[in-house]
Amino acid sequence: MLYTVVPIDDVLEGMEEEPAPTMELIVGGVLMELEPQGDFQAKVVRIISSDPQDYLASQHQPGSIVRWT
Amino acid sequence: MSEKPGLPQEEVTLQTIKELGQAEVAQVSPEVETQPFHCLTIIGQIEGHMVLPPRNKTTKYEHVIPQLVAIEQNPKIKGLLVVLNTVGGDIEAGLAIAEMLKTMSTPTVSLVLGGGHSIGAPIAVAADYSVISATATMTIHPIRLSGLVIGVPQTYEYLDKMQDRVIRFIVEHSRVSTEVLRDMMFRTGELVRDVGTVLVGEEAVRVGLINEVGGVGTALSRLSQMVSQRSVEGVQ
Repeated sequence: MLYTVVPIDDVLEGMEEEPAPTMELIVGGVLMELEPQGDFQAKVVRIISSDPQDYLASQHQPGSIVRWT
Repeated sequence: MSEKPGLPQEEVTLQTIKELGQAEVAQVSPEVETQPFHCLTIIGQIEGHMVLPPRNKTTKYEHVIPQLVAIEQNPKIKGLLVVLNTVGGDIEAGLAIAEMLKTMSTPTVSLVLGGGHSIGAPIAVAADYSVISATATMTIHPIRLSGLVIGVPQTYEYLDKMQDRVIRFIVEHSRVSTEVLRDMMFRTGELVRDVGTVLVGEEAVRVGLINEVGGVGTALSRLSQMVSQRSVEGVQ
């Protein structure tokens, strides 16, 4: 339930579009949900961890790009 | 990627590849550990149980809540500055963040910049001390029926109950009274085609919602003051 000053139609614009496919991968010892962005790199969608300190690590913030080789 | 003091970035990367076989290492960076204050920004829509379309800029509560736990848990983090520029969002997620902030033992100061509308108001008042910039606005308005709630007769009662949760939280954690808050929420003539009140900077302080008008300097010096007070109390 939303409590916002933005009209609901604006908030939900694009709701019908399919979200980008995601995958789960352990990067640097942390399980995360990633959106693949081409070869060996992906955008962090969310972190799946029970260690709260993982959520403070700057390289894992949602939206950041992680790379692996 | 965090940088170890005294080592160039490439060397750090090489070292981690050598030691752990990978370039990215999960660790709280050394700078994070030495910084006494952390800053949490609440921006755009507060996202709750539903993933909002990518056009919205969102604050994700499933990320913010463990961050608050980490801040509370880490003895090296002495204080938290919460910067708000939000248009509102999910009630339950907003209240969850507000309740977490309220119950933290780490000193917290909120700073409303730009806007702290709707569900942003309980988050702003949840901090131990709240500051609003002179030009920032806060919109106090009733919870409306959106397309997400099915129109059954119970709906009105349900909305009322949700509204009471928000009102109770704000009243309990600020100087504003229930009567004043309700009056602002249902005031007509202030908003175009809607009921509610827009409070700009000083007005939010005058009604008792926010503690002080100021900026980042005000907020940080208040935080330092609270931290030193706390360490003095700890010694005694």
